[in-house]
Amino acid sequence: MILVAAAQAVRRDIGLWEWLFDAGTWTGRNGILATAGDTVRLCAAVIATSALIAVPLGAFLAHIRRGELAATWVVNVGRAIPTFALAGLLVPISLRWGYGFEPWPVFVALTLLSVPPIFLTTFTAVSQVDPVVVDAARGMGLEDRRVLLRVELALALSVILTGVRVAAVQAVATEPIRAFLGGGGLGGYLRDGLGQNNDTLVLGGAILVAALAALTGAAFGVFERVIVPKGVRRLRRAGDRGSSHNGEDHERASVQVSEAADPVGSLQLADGGLR
Amino acid sequence: MILAQATNPIIRWEYLRDEWDKVRTALIQHIELTLLAVALGLVVASVLAAIALRYRWTANPITTFTAFVYTIPSVALFGLLVPYTGVSRTTAVIPLVGYTLLILVTSILTGFRSVPPAVRDAAEGMGLSPARRVFTVELPLAVPYIITGIRVATVTTVGLVTVAAIVGEGGLGRLILDGLRRTFWTPMTVGASLSIILALVLDLSLWGLGRALTPWTRRGGPQRAATR
Repeated sequence: MILVAAAQAVRRDIGLWEWLFDAGTWTGRNGILATAGDTVRLCAAVIATSALIAVPLGAFLAHIRRGELAATWVVNVGRAIPTFALAGLLVPISLRWGYGFEPWPVFVALTLLSVPPIFLTTFTAVSQVDPVVVDAARGMGLEDRRVLLRVELALALSVILTGVRVAAVQAVATEPIRAFLGGGGLGGYLRDGLGQNNDTLVLGGAILVAALAALTGAAFGVFERVIVPKGVRRLRRAGDRGSSHNGEDHERASVQVSEAADPVGSLQLADGGLR
Repeated sequence: MILAQATNPIIRWEYLRDEWDKVRTALIQHIELTLLAVALGLVVASVLAAIALRYRWTANPITTFTAFVYTIPSVALFGLLVPYTGVSRTTAVIPLVGYTLLILVTSILTGFRSVPPAVRDAAEGMGLSPARRVFTVELPLAVPYIITGIRVATVTTVGLVTVAAIVGEGGLGRLILDGLRRTFWTPMTVGASLSIILALVLDLSLWGLGRALTPWTRRGGPQRAATR
């Protein structure tokens, strides 16, 4: 039976490029487009859920100047979560509660993987909005809610999006474990290739997974350019150049920049995911 | 089989007794792979960091390269190596080492760069040779950063080793896949829980090691202020 499945999947003697550039590989129910779409849909749901949890929470805690401890804790716990093991742990539980074999275990595990980077960047970015700007906004008579939404979040947006991008790339890169836990998605080629001892499928599957992760990163780069308001971008550039004439100001600007750069650095360190 | 399905609890404790040998083998393999990968990673990272510190222009390319390796999906990297190194320990260890590099190189660089120039000057003024200065003055001051890096690398590696199960190694990850194949939840629960516990235990031990190695950081006071 396994042999029949193998024969249906891919001819053994087919070359990698032949496989990758064959129209039949891409279309159909088990085609690359369908399975990649499956992966992207799940990851989009994961990222949307994570952002809905992490952005409001991080922004609010930073706005009321609380939760330094929560931020450190989230990072530490976040990097200790082995996604594959966690998803494996959730499979029986999900079945017991009647949610089925998949994709819930992987969905939950990926969400837990994605919340920490988004929470951390949101919290740090909103915390580091220049207090002078916030004071000015209050002085102009903006109410509390507007200060948070129109000033703090707007200024923090590009850093938050960096966090979302890191989370999204991580999610797309990790999602292929779903195939090994009895699910679908782009990891299926790798799983089948390893199971059938078929190097073409293994290599092709690996290349596709890596390519989708790279594509996700690039897509978010474009998205960032579109969504960050022009004024904020100008402001950041000015800050990066340290364009103030006053020495003290210059020092503060550069400290801010280095601190703003740091969450991303510590993020890379913090990410305990399986990519 | 149907009977087994009907009584398939999330964990069946007899399993730990009956198949303890299997669990122990998996646990030992998991620890071995983790320690091997982190140790090799530390060696490679030390060399890379030394080059980056000695020849400053190489720092950027080295960090960029390790960051690039870090972003390759683990499932993909394991898969990419299979045609070349087969289903073997090498296939598991190469990516594991690769993923530790970014964290370790960054932490070593941060550690050495955090040494105050005044301390370096003083060591030089006391007539220490460059080698002695590096090993007896700068290295101890960099240790807290390096230990933090090793902790993160270790915890990450424990998680990644489970993924290496797809190429036949993978310690506790094997139990997870095994349980899935047999539709028997106990090995999955045991494998997953043990790998999480292992990560926490190793993290705590390394934290303790770091504290033991750097008694001066606990006293606070002037030394602490100086390293800022």
